[in-house]
Amino acid sequence: MKQFALIVTLAAMAAALPLLIGESPYFTGIMISVLMMAALSSAWNLLGGYAGQYSFGHAAYFGAGAYTTMILITLFNLNPILCMAAGIVVACIIALITGSIVFRLRGHYFALASIAVAEIVRLSVLNFEFTGGAQGILLSDVSLWGLDLNSKNPFYYGMLLVLVVTLAITAHLRKSKTGFYLQAIREDQDAASSLGINLSFYKNKALLISAAVTSVLGSLYGVYIRFIDTSAVLDLRLSIEIILTAIIGGVGTLWGPVVGALLLVPLAEMLRSNFLGDALVKAGLVSETSGLGIFLKENLAHAHVLVYGIITVLCILYLPKGILGLFRRVK
Amino acid sequence: MLLFLQALLSGTLTGGVYALAGIGMSLVFGVMNISNFAHGDLMMLGMYLAYFAFTLLHIDPYVSLVMIMPTAFLFGFLMEKVFINRVIHHPHQNQILLTIGLGLIMSNTALLAFTSDPKILTTSYSSSAFNLPGGIFLSVPLVISFLITCGITAILSLFLLKTSTGMALRATSQNREAAQLMGINVAKMSAIAFGIGTALAATAGALIAPTYYIHPLAGHSFLLKAFTICVLGGLGSVAGAGVGGLIIGVVEAMSSTYISSDWKDVVVFVLFLAVLLLRPQGLFGKKGEQS
Repeated sequence: MKQFALIVTLAAMAAALPLLIGESPYFTGIMISVLMMAALSSAWNLLGGYAGQYSFGHAAYFGAGAYTTMILITLFNLNPILCMAAGIVVACIIALITGSIVFRLRGHYFALASIAVAEIVRLSVLNFEFTGGAQGILLSDVSLWGLDLNSKNPFYYGMLLVLVVTLAITAHLRKSKTGFYLQAIREDQDAASSLGINLSFYKNKALLISAAVTSVLGSLYGVYIRFIDTSAVLDLRLSIEIILTAIIGGVGTLWGPVVGALLLVPLAEMLRSNFLGDALVKAGLVSETSGLGIFLKENLAHAHVLVYGIITVLCILYLPKGILGLFRRVK
Repeated sequence: MLLFLQALLSGTLTGGVYALAGIGMSLVFGVMNISNFAHGDLMMLGMYLAYFAFTLLHIDPYVSLVMIMPTAFLFGFLMEKVFINRVIHHPHQNQILLTIGLGLIMSNTALLAFTSDPKILTTSYSSSAFNLPGGIFLSVPLVISFLITCGITAILSLFLLKTSTGMALRATSQNREAAQLMGINVAKMSAIAFGIGTALAATAGALIAPTYYIHPLAGHSFLLKAFTICVLGGLGSVAGAGVGGLIIGVVEAMSSTYISSDWKDVVVFVLFLAVLLLRPQGLFGKKGEQS
């Protein structure tokens, strides 16, 4: 109950945030990214953190939601909510196929097979005509219940809602029979199986919930940005960012993914907008016209993936339980 | 029929180089029980080493292997000592993430240092081909690569079968604890295995450099191919990886010829899933090894 109260309190504070700071598209945009990554990572955490099944292909479910929604809107101009539901169905079909193939296997195989499925989805989307191929899909106009979809606020609240629902599901599941079964599977599959837990049923259940939430976020993202292509919504890098967010915050904890997203997304944004390079120049540490200054200006914006790599390595070596794991150890 | 033979032969030649990458990954997996997600990026480093040896020092890419192999071995040996051996008793997912992180560092450092413009290594014989009777063409660089691959594989087999280090490596691969009890320095074996794996990856990269675009992110697609090869041959089986490489090369060439080159990678990954579904221990693996 304590966790539910905390979720509601924090959600209320987050909901009041746009009213407090007023109209700031830039800040709202970053907050939308934070909420989306937190929700994506929480959804992944259900399967990876609690059931111990590390999916390296969650981009496939995100892309399934995004592509299904965008295709249905451009072709038939359907209500975006209906398209979102269709996206969930597509993502769940992909999840069921993946699950039925790989959940009989253990260890490295699930990781490898999840990548293979995601790559098959990505390459198929790239090669088919109706998905727009390498050009992607551009959405010119969309409407829903008279909401102002040119403003960022509807998407801010949309992402927030999905995050709250995901956290509520997680908080509920981990204290439920299913949650205990999943954690038993994570700790020792053979022991769990010998106690009569149907391994593939519960793994598939966790995967389906996770894939459905991920696909909803994909649909929201598509309508929010109004442009998708395979490198934005189906790339292996997205899958890795989702995992990394959970790892840094703390895998298998309720709030870990939120903490991870609050740290990583603004960091990536700072690197992308070259905030760091500019700060070094402004602080007088690097001259703007010197060779190093020019190098930083031209390249630091592209370095955020490099920084992700360094953070991953440091995190696995020194902080494998994440930031929240650190506090738990103290307790 | 001509088309079929052409695809079969070129597929086999390309498959030989894939096999080399697959063998490296399989050796690491066998000895250390680690899936090395940086393998593709190590191949990419081999491509750039060959490129710079050729453009700066004017050394033929096939001759520069003499330098690339020991350099890569040392690089891999140190990488294992500094990073990998610290997670050898960790859960699989941490090992995977660590190697993914190392791979991201390598590919994005390459991106910063060499920019994203693809480089092309053009030798005097890059586009020449042997004309076989019946109208079949065999690309000269592919034939040379294949022969070198055969030579390296033969030397590696002799090393694994006949030398005491090779036997110690195989013993570690079969049972790490038992090997340690017999007095084998398993930590050293891990570093050697990772060094050899890296050397083989870099060699495979150097061998395909004259026929591919050299790009910082080129390793990505080879990584998944190397995994498919390992799973096909049975994770950890060196001989299996060799055969797996040839099969993947031929499957790729056949699907390029009869379906479309856009779909060849999809066919490879579908094959990968089919193997997992029907024969998860691989074509040559023993039953029960997949758990």
